[in-house]
Amino acid sequence: MILGVDIGGTHTDAICIKTGTIINSAKVTTDKENLVGSIVGAINELDIDLPKIDRIVLSTTLSTNAIIEKKYGLTGMIASAGPGIDPKNYFLTDNFYLVDGAIDHRGREYVPINRDQITTVAGKLKDKGITGVGIVSKFSVRNPLHEESIYNLISNDFSYISLGHQMSGNLNFSRRINTTYFNTAVMPTQDVFMKSVSGALGKLGIMPQILFLKADGGTYMASAANRLPVETIMSGPAASIMGGAALNKDKGASLVLDIGGTTTDIGLLVDGVPVMEPLGVSIGGAKTLVRGLNVLSVGAGGDSRVYTKRDKLFVGPQRDGPPAAMGGKSPTPTDALAILGVLDFGDAKKAEHALSPLAHAMGKDLKDLAKDILTTLAKGIKQASASFIDELNTKPVYTIHEMLHQELIRPDRVIIIGGPARNLKPYIADVFDIPCIVPEYCEVANALGAALARTTAQITIMADTQMRRLVCPEIGIEKEIPSHYSMDDIKTFGIKALKDNASYLGLTDALDVDVVEAQSFNMVRGFSTAGKNMRLKIQSTPGIIPEWR
Amino acid sequence: MKARYKTGLIFFPAYDWKISPTHPEREERLLYTQDQILEEGLLDIEDIYEFKAGFASEEDISRAHFCVPDVSSRITPSHNISAGGCIEAARHVLEGDVKKAFALVRPPGHHSMRVVHGARGFCNINIEAIMIEWIRHHYPKIKKVAIVDTDCHHGDGSQDIYWHDPNVLYISLHQDGRTLYPGSGFPNEFGGPNAMGLTVNIPLPPHTSDAGFLHVIETLVLPVLDEFKPDLIINSAGQDNHYSDPITAMAFTAGGYARLNDMLCPDICVLEGGYSIEAALPYVNTGIILALAGLDYSYIKEPDLDLDQIRDDPKSLEYIKQLCEQLLIRWHEKDKLKDKYSSGEEYSKRNKSIYYDTDGISETQTEVIRICDECPGVFKIDSAASTGYRILGIHIPHGACKACRDKGYEWFDKPDSEFYAVYLQDMDNDIFKVKK
Repeated sequence: MILGVDIGGTHTDAICIKTGTIINSAKVTTDKENLVGSIVGAINELDIDLPKIDRIVLSTTLSTNAIIEKKYGLTGMIASAGPGIDPKNYFLTDNFYLVDGAIDHRGREYVPINRDQITTVAGKLKDKGITGVGIVSKFSVRNPLHEESIYNLISNDFSYISLGHQMSGNLNFSRRINTTYFNTAVMPTQDVFMKSVSGALGKLGIMPQILFLKADGGTYMASAANRLPVETIMSGPAASIMGGAALNKDKGASLVLDIGGTTTDIGLLVDGVPVMEPLGVSIGGAKTLVRGLNVLSVGAGGDSRVYTKRDKLFVGPQRDGPPAAMGGKSPTPTDALAILGVLDFGDAKKAEHALSPLAHAMGKDLKDLAKDILTTLAKGIKQASASFIDELNTKPVYTIHEMLHQELIRPDRVIIIGGPARNLKPYIADVFDIPCIVPEYCEVANALGAALARTTAQITIMADTQMRRLVCPEIGIEKEIPSHYSMDDIKTFGIKALKDNASYLGLTDALDVDVVEAQSFNMVRGFSTAGKNMRLKIQSTPGIIPEWR
Repeated sequence: MKARYKTGLIFFPAYDWKISPTHPEREERLLYTQDQILEEGLLDIEDIYEFKAGFASEEDISRAHFCVPDVSSRITPSHNISAGGCIEAARHVLEGDVKKAFALVRPPGHHSMRVVHGARGFCNINIEAIMIEWIRHHYPKIKKVAIVDTDCHHGDGSQDIYWHDPNVLYISLHQDGRTLYPGSGFPNEFGGPNAMGLTVNIPLPPHTSDAGFLHVIETLVLPVLDEFKPDLIINSAGQDNHYSDPITAMAFTAGGYARLNDMLCPDICVLEGGYSIEAALPYVNTGIILALAGLDYSYIKEPDLDLDQIRDDPKSLEYIKQLCEQLLIRWHEKDKLKDKYSSGEEYSKRNKSIYYDTDGISETQTEVIRICDECPGVFKIDSAASTGYRILGIHIPHGACKACRDKGYEWFDKPDSEFYAVYLQDMDNDIFKVKK
């Protein structure tokens, strides 16, 4: 049996799945001070045979909230940069230390690190009582030498250390700094949480495999989550989009709309595989290298504030507390639904009271106004969806082939999930000119997405046959290669490396592995070919576990 | 970080295009530049935007060129996208999406002249000229344009296209033509009879470094631009003046390029040459992007930079100072040049021999322009190439007077059998005809 638990800001949803069918689902209120209690509460609510649970997948806002609300201990950073943009622009706190050392774009060292300087910096960090330190150097994904040397000098001094090149194989120094800093900062939080989850499950008499949902809509094992907790950020929207993937297995492009109270999250699935952000997700305004789904969040939901300006009707983007029907001040789309008599909760009288002045001012019948509100909301969502797709279609490409043969994304259908999905469907279907589907279980799609997401990981390989070097930063491989090494050799090597390191990367299996990017350049020096520069990305494909239907 | 000026970047490295496998103009050329741009996180800086390249249409190309035998035979999709990338850069600037833009595209274009029989100096079509003509057609408010060409090679193609155009000022800083391809760009090349003084060539001695280049910008280029008052400044941002470039002999640095850009403050930069793909381009491009965006570039430095090794020779600096003084004097006296060089005749003629080094084609041209006080003057080019094609190209300029326009159509309508084709560019009416 698999359990999916999505611990959201307001509710904790749990769902239980056995051999491809949903056994039960539950919803409890999240206790922000006691997330583990909320998890246990949701599990108890499910009323299932606990010992039969062999896997539990958690989607939490733990790291997300810790980072956004800056709820973490003092965290140190040691960074070497070399020439470029002044690295001080990227320093997030006073505990950042810039040290000597420079590596170029091909991974050649041209300024070594200074051991005494690093020991001094480590001493200062220790004096401040800091227990976690992030280590980052520019171009470390091309050569992790400096990060590793610094690590070897200070590894005994701190409890939590993360190295930039292990976060992601992508180039981007400032994002590497952010990612490494956040990762280090939330390591203790994740550590405590994980211990307390195992403890609580132990008390229930169960010891299932524990997985966490990541921003990329995949999951990873707890051991990898302890090492790279930053990957759990922004997993909330990922849960919903993966829920959409589980609930609709049609081929082609599916636009997924997760309509909530405050926002609607818009994502895209192509043949069931979610579309990712090119470099990484942002959190609290900071850009990271955390691989994650490309999700556009717009301020349009069931509880958005409805108002008029110069006789024009507006829905959102602000939220002004709960809907009037639930005791709030401002009218909302939920109140419109209440007036139309389709809600099974709330006080329709209060909704009427809140919307009447608007109806009067606009000279409209109350029910007509209610319908106008829902149409306005639907149009807003449609417009946001169009710009989301437009942005994907105007993404720059770098080859003539792609310029000439780029296939534009045209969604084949809309999958609507989330609380108000069912009631809003007619209005959304009315403004979109493609089929709109509200799948069964759309209210618990997030928990379902968490329960059913596959484990995922990605590795990056750069091979330089002139320097006869191969680097795979995510798993810390650096090796000498023969000068005749070919793209096929690298692919074979990479796929094996990913499989061999599956458990380190947090994968439960590595069955479905594919090469997502492969580039090869002849390097010409003088007038003859000096070698090949090859770049490769290999991943275990995101998607839904095969056991599901 | 937030850019002071909203800056757009069109990056099109054409990773699947080369002239030949070991040619400097090959797939790998912008690879390390992209690595550096990505690692520096330039695209994450607030108000720096990356835009997709586009395609230049046949019409866009015909505004700047007479392509022989036709446009499609002279270009590949890569040229199309390279020129289209420049057009996109211009579009985003002129639409106000951004204040400045940099088209980091390849292949380059500044050796392509108005008549195109083939490729020369790695260029098939002139991507700046195509962009400028696109701008003039779509945004008529742009009347005057200045090109400042900082490629190490003289931009003989851009010079040729704007030789007769008093509304496009062409300024080129380059390694002295006696020591480098294409062997032109001397101070005595200063524009056609209707645009005298509006071509400014500044040949610099080999090994010129930051002090020399920046002296030219400060004491000559900026005063000239101040006086010309262009609506738009275009920088042909070739990067082969760098001390590490394998096919030139200058000693300019990445920091120097950034400073030059900062001083020049161009609206649009277009990448031209630059073949030190590992040691120069990553740093020069990073410097230019930061300078364009109005950001601090003082930490941009090549890993192997040793300023003592490449400092300007005092004698060369003295020569450069004198050259700038003389050129500035001539600039101030440009209005008198027309009288000084005028023969009093209605037409002026020049003969040219052109060699297409990339394709091994020879061409001879006879160009005749109507000396006109009312407009930039109609002209025609009789061009014969070793490929066997002989064509006549007629150009009726922007703002042509009635007499010049009538003359242009008279030339075009005249039955001629000795030409493979007769071309017409009627700029004001945006009419491009080919009569075969």
